[in-house]
Amino acid sequence: MAVTEDPRKPRNWSERIGVLQDRIYDALFHNYIWQSIFRSGYPNTPRNQMLVVATNVFLHLHPTRIHRTHVKITHTYCLGGLTFFMFLILTVTGVLLMFYYVPSVDEAYQDIAALETNVKFGLLIRNMHRWTAHAMVILVFLHMMRVFYTGAYKPPREFNWVVGVILLVLTLVLSFTGYLLPWDQLALWAVTVGHGIGGSAPYFGDETQLIVFGGYEVGPATLIRFYTLHVIALPLIAAVFMAVHFWRIRRDGGMARPL
Amino acid sequence: MAVETRAAPQPAPKARPRPKREREEEVLVWPDLVFVEFIAAVLFTITFLILSTFINAPLLNRANPEQTPNPSKAPWYFLNLQELLLHMDKAWAGVLLPTIALVFFMAIPYIDRSREGQGVWFGSKYAVRLTIIAAIYATVVSAGLVAFDSGDRTHAEYLTRWIPSCDANAEHQGLPCLEDEPGASHTGIITTNDVSTRMRMSMPFPDALGIDDGHLDWPEDLDNIPVPFNNICGNIGSFHLWCEMHINAPATIAQQVIPLSTIAFFTVAIIYVLFRVGWLRTKRDLFIVMFTAVMAAYLTLSMVGSFFRGEGQALIWPWEIKVDEG
Repeated sequence: MAVTEDPRKPRNWSERIGVLQDRIYDALFHNYIWQSIFRSGYPNTPRNQMLVVATNVFLHLHPTRIHRTHVKITHTYCLGGLTFFMFLILTVTGVLLMFYYVPSVDEAYQDIAALETNVKFGLLIRNMHRWTAHAMVILVFLHMMRVFYTGAYKPPREFNWVVGVILLVLTLVLSFTGYLLPWDQLALWAVTVGHGIGGSAPYFGDETQLIVFGGYEVGPATLIRFYTLHVIALPLIAAVFMAVHFWRIRRDGGMARPL
Repeated sequence: MAVETRAAPQPAPKARPRPKREREEEVLVWPDLVFVEFIAAVLFTITFLILSTFINAPLLNRANPEQTPNPSKAPWYFLNLQELLLHMDKAWAGVLLPTIALVFFMAIPYIDRSREGQGVWFGSKYAVRLTIIAAIYATVVSAGLVAFDSGDRTHAEYLTRWIPSCDANAEHQGLPCLEDEPGASHTGIITTNDVSTRMRMSMPFPDALGIDDGHLDWPEDLDNIPVPFNNICGNIGSFHLWCEMHINAPATIAQQVIPLSTIAFFTVAIIYVLFRVGWLRTKRDLFIVMFTAVMAAYLTLSMVGSFFRGEGQALIWPWEIKVDEG
């Protein structure tokens, strides 16, 4: 049979548009620059779907495949992931808050008050930071309970449970150090209660107050100390422990499964 | 050409569903898991955007060290410690008990080393039952103890009202008695602190060990007992470890022995009962009870601190709370 027409040649308008779409798609995604960023193709085949997870730094926290039961929401309720997501929101909103905040006794309160009234979306950002901080504390407790009641701390995951307990403490301390920063009555006196609790440590009470709170009462030294801890020291420490925590999930064989 | 030979159909081996291979039970992370995570993240982002649009974070007056708000409260997740401070020695409430709880948490997997029951919710036979019982028990006990140790509104003092009033003129009281506030009617023990502050008693005692009036009196003769070898003053920087250490026996009993043994008693009691009933059989069961109890008590004490503590940390109903911001 003689070839009478080129099969690639569009025969009608709908095919013409199809060809155009392919050309645009190729121009956008099959070019040198795009493929230097994303090594794998569009994740529409199993091979590419696994590659996209394995070759992406953010997604490679996951394995490429996962047991069917672990995708069920009721297995984990996403609690650990959501705790981490709260940490991310807090980082973003926290950085935005830092633009407007000076950690000095004279300026801190004025800065927060001005942020709420003079800065576009300032109040929203502060509210987000506050409520997600509370949510993170709640979620970290719920995550701990999920891990406990599903027996996911059992061997070989003992150490990751310990890392998790440390992260619980870090979350509480992060939240507590942030509590002081608005320098209002609520902040000052809540931290004063904590200051008293710290001072009640047997033998090391005075030292705890001096080292952690910077003095025998909550004052300017406490503010700058808590600020530094809250915005840089503790988030970095928490990030290191989170890295270990996530890494160990994979190393210890993924999420816990019935034997 | 191959000759197709068709054997007579063999009796099929007994049909048994082939166990699925590991790979067949797996799904791809993209899209199955990534999608769920993405939806969860979007839902939470939207929820918190809406929440933050309508509910504002509190901002009170500028901090003023001269004006103490009444009551002044810690953040909610530390209110349980603040609540404990009202009932026992501050070192135990604020530092030692939380430390013990955290060390207990970390120790769980090193003691309960069995691999059974992992990866499923409540993986042992009586796990659900134990969790519910422990949660209710810890809630009731911790709330009850708070009420019992908190004075006039709870009428707990009626239980100890049989202890007589002290004779103001007697030099030594003899049998235990309670000192009343001037002008107040006689009450029983209102808080455990009364054991070291209001309670008086004495017994005849030979003149020795610094006792020179023939009577050993509670609390005044017992509140400054030197610890053996407390004359060894090893100074490590500013830490006075053993040097000049004296024990205030009545305060120690009221603020440490009674509260801690009460906690120990209620813990051991529930574990013993559940063990005798036969529901608590493994270390896993034991930890389910203890972990649940710690969590429930933590939550209960936080709630008490948040909603039931008013001016001067008095125990009141939530709708009566008025905060004097100073």
